Amino acid sequence: MKKLILLFVILAFITTFAASTIELIFWTHEDPNRTPLEEKYIQEFEQMYPNVKITRVTYPSGKIAEVILTAFAAKKGPDIFNMEIQNEYPYILNGRVAPINLEAIGLKSYDELKELYIEGALEPVTYEGEIYGLPLELTNWAVFVNKKYFREVGLDPEKDYPKTWEEMMEVSEKLVIREGEILKRRGFDFRYPYYFTFFLPMVEQLGGALISEDGKTAIVNDEAWLKVLRFMKEWGPNGKNLGSPTYTNARKTFNKDNNTVTMCLSGLYQIDRIRAQNPEFYESGEWMVVPYPVFENAVKDVRCNYYGHYYMVNAESSKEKQYWAWKFINYMLSHPEDYLLNVGLIQPRKTLIESDTFKNYPYADVFIEDMKKSHSVPLLANGPQFEQLIREAVEAVMLTDTTPEEALKILKEKANELLKEEW
Amino acid sequence: MKSLERKKAVWGFIFVLPAIVFFIIFNFYPMGYAFWISFHKKNLISLRPPKFVGFSNYIYLLQSSSFWNSVKATAIFALGTFVPIVIFSLIFAVLISTRKRFQKFLEMAYYSPAVLSSVVAATIWFLMFQPYGLANQFLNFLFNTNNIDYKWLSSEKMLVLATIIVYFWKYVGYYTIIFIAGIASIPKSVHEAAIIDGAGKWQDFLYITLPLLKPTTLLVSIMSMIQTLRTFSTQYFFVQSGAPIKPIEVITLNIYNTAIRDMRVGRASAMSIILLVIIMFFTYIQFKISRTEEISY
Amino acid sequence: MLKRTLTITADLIVWIFLIGFAIIILSPLVFMFAASIMPSEDILKVPFPWITSDFHWQNYWKALKGNDGKFLYLRTIFNSFIVASLTSLGTIFLSSLAGYGLAKFKFKGRMFVLMMILSTMMIPFEAIMIPLYLIVTKMGMQDTYAGLIVPLLLNAFGIFMMRQYLITFPEELLDAARIDGASEFGIYWKIILPNSLPAITTLAILTFRAQWDNLIWPLLIVQTPKKKTIPLFIIQFASEKYTDEGALMAAAAIASVPMLILFIKLSRYFLAGAELFAARKD
Repeated sequence: MKKLILLFVILAFITTFAASTIELIFWTHEDPNRTPLEEKYIQEFEQMYPNVKITRVTYPSGKIAEVILTAFAAKKGPDIFNMEIQNEYPYILNGRVAPINLEAIGLKSYDELKELYIEGALEPVTYEGEIYGLPLELTNWAVFVNKKYFREVGLDPEKDYPKTWEEMMEVSEKLVIREGEILKRRGFDFRYPYYFTFFLPMVEQLGGALISEDGKTAIVNDEAWLKVLRFMKEWGPNGKNLGSPTYTNARKTFNKDNNTVTMCLSGLYQIDRIRAQNPEFYESGEWMVVPYPVFENAVKDVRCNYYGHYYMVNAESSKEKQYWAWKFINYMLSHPEDYLLNVGLIQPRKTLIESDTFKNYPYADVFIEDMKKSHSVPLLANGPQFEQLIREAVEAVMLTDTTPEEALKILKEKANELLKEEW
Repeated sequence: MKSLERKKAVWGFIFVLPAIVFFIIFNFYPMGYAFWISFHKKNLISLRPPKFVGFSNYIYLLQSSSFWNSVKATAIFALGTFVPIVIFSLIFAVLISTRKRFQKFLEMAYYSPAVLSSVVAATIWFLMFQPYGLANQFLNFLFNTNNIDYKWLSSEKMLVLATIIVYFWKYVGYYTIIFIAGIASIPKSVHEAAIIDGAGKWQDFLYITLPLLKPTTLLVSIMSMIQTLRTFSTQYFFVQSGAPIKPIEVITLNIYNTAIRDMRVGRASAMSIILLVIIMFFTYIQFKISRTEEISY
Repeated sequence: MLKRTLTITADLIVWIFLIGFAIIILSPLVFMFAASIMPSEDILKVPFPWITSDFHWQNYWKALKGNDGKFLYLRTIFNSFIVASLTSLGTIFLSSLAGYGLAKFKFKGRMFVLMMILSTMMIPFEAIMIPLYLIVTKMGMQDTYAGLIVPLLLNAFGIFMMRQYLITFPEELLDAARIDGASEFGIYWKIILPNSLPAITTLAILTFRAQWDNLIWPLLIVQTPKKKTIPLFIIQFASEKYTDEGALMAAAAIASVPMLILFIKLSRYFLAGAELFAARKD
């Protein structure tokens, strides 16, 4: 009997001891430059609060939505995570993420929090009066250019870089190297399959929209949509054969500087990736960043949509874990300049945007000027499905015999059906 | 004696019990659950309980072009794969069976892709189907053309063909072995009798081997057909790597996407039930055939 | 004379046909190994240089190390081994047990049980995977080895195969053991198991291979990178930013080598596995 009691005491001791260490699981997307930085913050945080242990796990950006979904469906989601906001939105709607713990981040009210960020930065994560996330980055894309290949075909990169989509096609035509029909070097290629980010602004430039202002119809202004779909068809292998979604991502081979692609769409963070992956190319200065093109007869000057990555906290984590999770997130995010200088991520904090560090950062002006003319990717309960429908339409016109008219008809039908669905 | 029999019966039941429990938990219960939830609306990440919606998931599916596209993609893939598999594996098996030397070596060579994992197969082929890849080089060599891009991954028809080739490549050897076993099970005496009756090799094949292989052929046909209805890995990998989804969104991939991407569990389950019915139908035919087609020599 | 020449020609044509196809079938494998030691520029070359002049053995190192330098692939390979081996062991044990029970014991409802088990052959895994995932999740096995192994421990085919194998087992041997006072489980353990080694090996190999290959179930059930199996790792590796083609092929080669070795060493069991399917009649 005595032994049993002793065992019980030991067990109780172990469990209480274990309870006082907080273990936080933190899932994020793969970003080779961000990893060392955040690992450092974890170390520092663990030193400050020895009772907290944080495990950081990364997933490729194309896979993380699937992984987080299967984990959350099993109620085994991580304590801290981030995704693109359109993928995070359903988690807010379904009550799966916890609102910010103001006490943990040392603030008194949401208004005080909003004051720290630029106008509207927290709007995507505000729902029924609560705020559910803190922004890691606000990112828009611009065009990265490899100057060497421009000169090689007798163009002056500084003067001849494409300002309109029409020019983009013309210039690309000059830049491509083909062997027979096989593309060895592309001029430019899009960033498939992120259609909410790069494709919708093209439609909006011509006066179209995904959802009407009253929110009742999907796919507004057929002419605009048709024109962009025609452009994509022209771009693809059945048209001028300038690129296609099945080639290796343009932004991935751009860094290699190996004569496979001249221009790609990417965010400010690409600069740090070039530096990390190919320092020689980075130092050579043979690359530059130019604004997102606009159609010649555009009716609206909108640039590439920006998207946010917001750190969020699992609503199923214990209150204590939630507290520490927010405290840790706040600690990481309180180094906006490090994120900018090491990873190229723009936290939409007023202090950062107004700082000299930001103003002197290479090409930051290009991105910020574009961002002023752009808006966020749309946030919809069925966002991922809408993006999928656009993907199917674009792939149909680019890769099959489907005409833009047919593709649009199907897209319109399905999108409106999806809009009416309640979930 | 009676008690021994009873004791044996109890032991027999004890031996079978784990299996019974297993199948109830991991086969029948999920099937029942799928059936039940197919009449409900359930969002994968929502914490709300499933809501009863009657037949609306089924009605939705039957009216949905995406579902019919999947049925079409699956049917094309299944037909386009199992027919060539049956024909080629039969030809390979018959020819390999006639070889006196290197038979084992040939069997192993043909069978080897089957031991690779499907994801590895998809990875290798995805690289070979790239515009600069071996598949284009092979066709350019075959048709004596110069650097034509046959658009393996980027044209609708070629993409379907590409997935068929991956599957065919991986499994043709497997079915070849089954046929070789079938051929080997035909008693020598039957062939000898035919030869004595003056039949040539060709006649022997046409009138003896082929008819006697009928049950094996039927079995292979239905088995390979059912297997092709379940294809997933190649399509999943190709779509993940940027290939257009529409021509290769087979039912299994659609189920996966509906549940895991679109979060619609009820609808995915309704689709699962439909797939279940289709496959049960073919399995039933398989059982029927393997019963009626037994041959005694 | 003419007839003989004809036969020889026909024979030659058959050889050419068979060897030609063998080359075509083997070439993707050769491609994988060739590309796995090439710099990625060589893989992009037209025509493909089957033998590279610039050996890139570091591709293997890159694959093992992973893009984040955490050597996750090693862990993944280990996981695959553990999961496939444990599943095979479990399958052997449970299938032979049930197969023995069904083959050698008469009890009430035996036919019903047999039919019930056989009927599960009609249920394709893909049709129940989503509810199964939700159920396994409720049991708390999501993101665990148990979740990977337990739901796949048994299949009707294995039981049926063992039953068919054991049904002809001489009854006298079992009775003799009973008279010697052996327990029923003892008989199974000491007599049945050792005597069904060929069937067991075949079943083990079939199960091992199926688990080694399994993609769809781990995809649903495992999220933590440390618990992933090889197919999941390859899919993840293929979609990472810094992966180049050579390293990807090296990863593929590493995944294939154990199975190829096993195949060459134990080919007769592999081939027997296929043949058993052909002999499947009830």
